[in-house]
Amino acid sequence: MKTFSIGGVHPDDKKISAGSRIESLPIPETVYISMAQHLGGPAKAIVAPGDRVRTGQVIGEPTGFISAYVHSSVTGTVKSVGLRKDLAGIPVVHVEIKTEPVDEWADGIDTSDTLVTDIPQDRQFIIDRIKNNGVVGLGGATFPTHVKLCPPPDKKAECLILNGAECEPYLTSDYRIMLEKTRQIVVGAALMKKVLGVSRAVIGIEENKPEAIKAMSAAVSELQKSSADYSGIEVQTLKKKYPQGGEKQLIDAVMHRQVKSMGLPIDVGAVVQNVATSLAVYEAVQKNMPLISNTLTVTGDCLPAERQKNYLFRIGYPLSWIAEYNGGVPEGAVKIISGGPMMGKAVSNFDAATLKGSSSILYMTAEQTERKLESSCIRCGKCAEACPMGLEPFLLNKLARNGMMEELEANAVQDCIECGCCLYSCPAYIPLLDIIRVAKGEVIRAMRARTAPKK
Amino acid sequence: MNRILVSPSPHIHAKTSTSVLMRDVVIALLPSVIVSILYYGAAAIGLLAASVVSCILVEYLITRFMFKAPSTIGDWSSSVTGVLLFLNLPPSCPWWVAVIGAIFAIGVVKMTFGGLGQNLFNPAIAARVFLLVSFPTFMTTWAAPKGFIGGVDAVSGATPLGIVKEGLAQGMTLPEIYAQHDFSYLQTLFINIGGSAGEISAIAILAGFIYLLARKVIRPYITLSILATVFVFSGIFWLVNPDQYTDPLFNLLTGGVLLGSVFMATDYVTSPMSDKGGIIYGIGIGLLTILIRYFGSYPEGMSFAILIMNSVVPLINKFCKQKKYGR
Amino acid sequence: MTTTIIWTIAIITILGVVLAVVLYLVAKKFKVEEDPRIDEVEKVMPGANCGGCGFAGCRAFAQSCVEAMNLDNNFCPVGGNDTMKKVAAVLGLEVKEKAPMVAVVRCSGTCANRPKTNEYDGYQSCKVKAALYSGDTGCFYGCLGCGDCVAACQFGALSMDPETGLPVVDEEKCTACGACARACPKRIIELRNKGPKNRRVFVSCVNMEKGAVARKACKSACIGCGKCEKACPFGAVKVEHNVAYIDFEKCKLCRKCVVECPTGAIHDVNFPSPAVKPALKPAASEPVAAPAAKPVAQPAAPAAPEVKVSAAETGKKVEPEKKSEE
Repeated sequence: MKTFSIGGVHPDDKKISAGSRIESLPIPETVYISMAQHLGGPAKAIVAPGDRVRTGQVIGEPTGFISAYVHSSVTGTVKSVGLRKDLAGIPVVHVEIKTEPVDEWADGIDTSDTLVTDIPQDRQFIIDRIKNNGVVGLGGATFPTHVKLCPPPDKKAECLILNGAECEPYLTSDYRIMLEKTRQIVVGAALMKKVLGVSRAVIGIEENKPEAIKAMSAAVSELQKSSADYSGIEVQTLKKKYPQGGEKQLIDAVMHRQVKSMGLPIDVGAVVQNVATSLAVYEAVQKNMPLISNTLTVTGDCLPAERQKNYLFRIGYPLSWIAEYNGGVPEGAVKIISGGPMMGKAVSNFDAATLKGSSSILYMTAEQTERKLESSCIRCGKCAEACPMGLEPFLLNKLARNGMMEELEANAVQDCIECGCCLYSCPAYIPLLDIIRVAKGEVIRAMRARTAPKK
Repeated sequence: MNRILVSPSPHIHAKTSTSVLMRDVVIALLPSVIVSILYYGAAAIGLLAASVVSCILVEYLITRFMFKAPSTIGDWSSSVTGVLLFLNLPPSCPWWVAVIGAIFAIGVVKMTFGGLGQNLFNPAIAARVFLLVSFPTFMTTWAAPKGFIGGVDAVSGATPLGIVKEGLAQGMTLPEIYAQHDFSYLQTLFINIGGSAGEISAIAILAGFIYLLARKVIRPYITLSILATVFVFSGIFWLVNPDQYTDPLFNLLTGGVLLGSVFMATDYVTSPMSDKGGIIYGIGIGLLTILIRYFGSYPEGMSFAILIMNSVVPLINKFCKQKKYGR
Repeated sequence: MTTTIIWTIAIITILGVVLAVVLYLVAKKFKVEEDPRIDEVEKVMPGANCGGCGFAGCRAFAQSCVEAMNLDNNFCPVGGNDTMKKVAAVLGLEVKEKAPMVAVVRCSGTCANRPKTNEYDGYQSCKVKAALYSGDTGCFYGCLGCGDCVAACQFGALSMDPETGLPVVDEEKCTACGACARACPKRIIELRNKGPKNRRVFVSCVNMEKGAVARKACKSACIGCGKCEKACPFGAVKVEHNVAYIDFEKCKLCRKCVVECPTGAIHDVNFPSPAVKPALKPAASEPVAAPAAKPVAQPAAPAAPEVKVSAAETGKKVEPEKKSEE
């Protein structure tokens, strides 16, 4: 069975909510749609207070090459456009919309359930649909998908990799869509395959999700019978190891190639997309449906079993509203995480609105998330053993604490993918990643400043 | 719910800590401790107590009254040093030798560098060498009192390595020495008369090794590379002249090779971080051990070899880095 | 026996002579020609190597002075005008006097003024905390309280006040090298004119949020109301992005703004008596406790009652800071 070659850890699986079917959430009275839902420049709001918006209507326009459209997820009246705090408490422009209970969809959107399997042959048509419907990567980085699907002309894509690893503990949203929206994901893969002009697409799924592997394989072979557009798509079972879903690790696992430092996957001919992105691509291209909804897991050990849920939410719902709908914050929760426990962000402002890339509300207890007092490094080397990039976190930590920038760069701090394996496995509880993450930012800034054309 | 907690990712942690790892090492040392207590009796218990208690006490006093910091005895590392120091002493040596060893191990070798994780040399090994140089009589006379099982009343004499060294110095050949001293391998495997408390039983040490591997406390590379080097290197000499050089199996099973390679050379703090570095480090220890045994003036070379290689570890760490992704 | 001793002495002596010759030759060959004035300038420098001047250390500063042969761009904040005069004397140059500066902490978000909204549990560093989120209070702009500035200060001039959770500058020890200002990810610490008799007036807030939002997060936040701007007869106060800033070059220390500020965000330090509205006589206001230094931010008595409470608190909280500065 395939897996990536360097490092990795095996945190407890804890897929508690795996058995819960995706449920649609009702529409709250007010939604707050952030203009910074993607990597790159935030969108520019093009609506004003008092405007009436329909579901699926564009309310934010991209600013710059790496940026994306933002659509209204509800029908209603714009109450305000202004700064509102995101989940980290940072002020970001949001459009506040007072909702109406019944959706009035914008023109041209197919809201039916029928599966469309015919792949459009016009490459530009697909890209335009993806771009205009604001599709971004839903694996975590929310990089605009149309940019990723249009590699520079000197680079040639060879293989599309769909990331169904979901290697983070607790999260089950990708697993549920692989079970419930199986064929849509495969159609999305075929669409992206068409855009990239590659002959091969691999859907990588970890071994701890046998039902998903079975369902996806069945859907692939069924669709392959219907059309030649689906040839070359295969399902690859991967060994369970974190961070399998990391872009660079997945390429290593599937293609046995390694992306050079500071390079992009396209340099080795790979394009990696999440399965949820594939679903969004299907919706955008085949249904002309903008990316206004996604699946979100509400889970945690302290949450009662009947409240472990996978919800279909629309962007802009406040996290606290979803939690209330779910029955409130459970007893014993001290920390709320948006995302998985290894790479997710701790929520400091629970009233923050959901984004395109929101994947979970995870409740952690004090015992689970305890950070013990830092003690001396015993030079056990467990951090270096765990690092999937082959770095030496113990060394980077020391260099960073002494502000040794050149040495940090020489020891490849810029390659850190912030997966958290080092801090996870450190027996002395040294806050390795906390320190390395900041040092990485500084080193990359210094490198950019050096390569930037001098004025 | 009160104020929510916010911290950078990751939000979960492996169920491990320094104290758990160190406790595992103590557990792995237990078989050897039990065997030595069974064999050497009450004297061994006294020595063990003196060694462990003084190690912990010295660490406590230094951290509390010299560093003026919270005591670090809770991390179990001083207990590991204490037990290892006991296993490195001949059971017949007086209790105050163990106390002096403990003061040297913790006070000088470990704490002067700043405590756990900072020391360049393994405290227990450094203390063994210190005592060997300071009290050669106590450290090389093996007058074992009667133990709880078997054992001979007041056996005294040298270790197998010492016997060989002395015999060779007198111009005897190895077969003659073996014949004179009624040596058998089976004996060394289970009960090895004479030697440090921890060197009695190879089986007990291997049990500890397997426990450490199973608990993923250590990786096997350092230990295996030491053992393989000792075997191969002494094998070459033995093939050249079996009358003069002891055979590989003899070298593996006698003296401190097993104890040192499993518990002391693998000490996190004083061994290289990477597997590749660990193999180089192990080869170095193996080569030095055999060279000292064959050509040095001491019959045993393991402790010296580990100490010498300890001093090279920073260099090995600098040059042996694991392969980085995409580079 | 004697021959051995003689031989030993002879060999060691010869060895010594040979090595001395080798050393001499090597030193000669690799000698780097340097302007001797660099050494001279370096001698008069404070030798702290703090980097406050913008150079890597005192020697780098000296080198740059000698190379440029003017002192317009070089100023040693630690040694101040005295050192610069000495440097000028060494090089035979002119130097312009600079007013002495001091580091000023522009945040009054004490634990009492600015309640915590969450609990931070990561590495205790402002840099790490700032990279992660907005901080453990409602204020995105304020002090994070992890003490990066304290760690950056080489002169022991900064310390965290455990009661307020804010850093305190020891004016005596502060050399205005600027290390703290560079270390602060929120850019709260600013180097300002020390002022005549160390008297200064400054806005102790950098919150750019709208008044109501800022006020909700922190009782002593600048709400950008602009009263100070109107009150200032010298045009020294500017309100931009909902926050006031006092230009210390223009400020004449009249303290009209201090009296006007409804939240007590404008602090005056080292004045003998609290600021009062001109209508009232100074003696009629609150009694003066300490003659040398007085609590900061005492708005006028007739201000709104709600504000009075917060102002009283501000004064009380800042008192320890003043004591340590005396």
